[in-house]
Amino acid sequence: MQKKRKEKSLVMTNRMYLFLIPALTMFVIFWVIPLLMLFRYSITNFNGINQNYDYVGFKNFITLWKENIIGISIKNTVTYTVILVFVSNVAGLALAMALNAKIRMKGFYRTAAYLPTLFSAIVIGFIWTYVYMPSNGLIATLMNQVGMDGSKFNILAGFKSALYGITIVDIWKNIGTAMIIYLAGLQTIDESMLEAGQIDGCTGFQLMRYVKLPLISATITINVILSVIAGLKAFDYVFIMTNGGPGKSTNTLMYTIYKIAFTDQMLGKSAALSVIAFIVIIAITIVMLFFMNKREVEL
Amino acid sequence: MTKRNKSNIIIHILLCLYTVVTLAPLVIVLSSSFRSIGNMTSHIKLFSEFKLDSYIAAFTRMNFPVVFMNSVLTTFGSVIVVVLIASMAAYPIARIKNKRSRFLYYFFIAGLVIPSQMVIIPIAQMFNNLGISYNRFTPMIMFITCSLPFSTFLFTGFMGSVPISIEEAAYIDGSSLFRRYFGIVFPLLKPATVSVIITQGIWIWNDYFFPMVFVSRSSQFSLPVAMIQFLGDRENPAQWNVLFASCILCALPLVVLFLVFQKQFVNGVAAGAVKG
Repeated sequence: MQKKRKEKSLVMTNRMYLFLIPALTMFVIFWVIPLLMLFRYSITNFNGINQNYDYVGFKNFITLWKENIIGISIKNTVTYTVILVFVSNVAGLALAMALNAKIRMKGFYRTAAYLPTLFSAIVIGFIWTYVYMPSNGLIATLMNQVGMDGSKFNILAGFKSALYGITIVDIWKNIGTAMIIYLAGLQTIDESMLEAGQIDGCTGFQLMRYVKLPLISATITINVILSVIAGLKAFDYVFIMTNGGPGKSTNTLMYTIYKIAFTDQMLGKSAALSVIAFIVIIAITIVMLFFMNKREVEL
Repeated sequence: MTKRNKSNIIIHILLCLYTVVTLAPLVIVLSSSFRSIGNMTSHIKLFSEFKLDSYIAAFTRMNFPVVFMNSVLTTFGSVIVVVLIASMAAYPIARIKNKRSRFLYYFFIAGLVIPSQMVIIPIAQMFNNLGISYNRFTPMIMFITCSLPFSTFLFTGFMGSVPISIEEAAYIDGSSLFRRYFGIVFPLLKPATVSVIITQGIWIWNDYFFPMVFVSRSSQFSLPVAMIQFLGDRENPAQWNVLFASCILCALPLVVLFLVFQKQFVNGVAAGAVKG
């Protein structure tokens, strides 16, 4: 719509950059500089209180590697992210497609699906602690009702199951947002496109795969990016529901960083892990953007 | 016709199943919150008792009126500042088309992917260096900063829908840059403003991390932080009803707002992602 303008415009002068000052100042002072400070702290033995700390080189990184903290927390975070991205997008898209059909009670279903996204993580953590509670939680009670042994159900205590347990909670909260965004994407599709497909003899599945999905590829991209970001930030339900346990089975990157800093009081070590997390996050983001850009053209 | 009915029935069944999974925990929390404090009969016997004991206990333990006001003040304050400075930042980024603007755009967006747990310690150091004291308003600084990337991104996306010709006309009529922005451009950004208020308002209202780190006196807690005090009570089954009542008290304000402004919520969340 906008024509390409010349560099020097009388109306759009460089004086407009004045408008940037408040936001840029805050962003640089409270986000960018702290991020850079991390790199310096990562090679010190700073403990948060004593300002006479020493530079210890790569000792923090070596300790993190030797204690296998890096491997475990990256593995947990990536598992969490992959499951979250896959399930919340597939389920969110399926829900949105169902709600996009001409059915009754649409508003009710939509409201119900969106409700969990309004709750604070702390409230959801409490609610799901009850749902998962061994012997008299919601799932255990329901299992008893149908004749299974509910007392054996304890998803958060299992080394293998705990991580899945908290991922389910995050999915439960996030589907609503994914659904709303997909629904908006689906509603932008022109009816005539679908009619043209039907006239050409597309089956329902073909219509979805070759007409609808390509048309909402931008929406898919944004939803996947949003859920990858949410997954890499995994902290809330580890903090509220499992404290990283049992053992280290739910130690995500962010929770480990928090724990090393606040419980162990080893800020240097925590900063070192933050640097690693930073590299991991940037790498994943770049790969994802590259992949998404390419795929969007192909579809 | 019959084929359509059949597929509609399948859709209804699936949606009903999903709705049950979503609502079941919430309904149980609601029903248990109306029980008397020590009532430990199975929670799935819905609405078997109707008392306000648990609510009264939760209300006084959380110091509800005080923490509620703290939450309201910090959320509203942060959202107002975010709308103002993020939209202002988006103005030159969207309007001036050169490399510098593109760089600034990506510079802000990059902030989206950095989790707050990672930078919290240098931020605390920064506060010490700048002599910023910790009180109920300290988290606002971080609420605003963390909201900037997404809000700037959104406002920049919407700025394209405000025609430049209006501004050019105003320029010829002699309005200054500030008059042009606040008198013409900003009011036309209303859809983006609504979207920012809703998406950022929800996370700021619900965030417990920054207040947990920066606020230590209980009279200055926000609602979610007041809830953290109950963490220890999970082990004590006799306290569950109070816990549930406090969950409802904490979630109620947003749920009520959502039910009243449902259309704006849904459009705001969707517009934020689709337009940008």
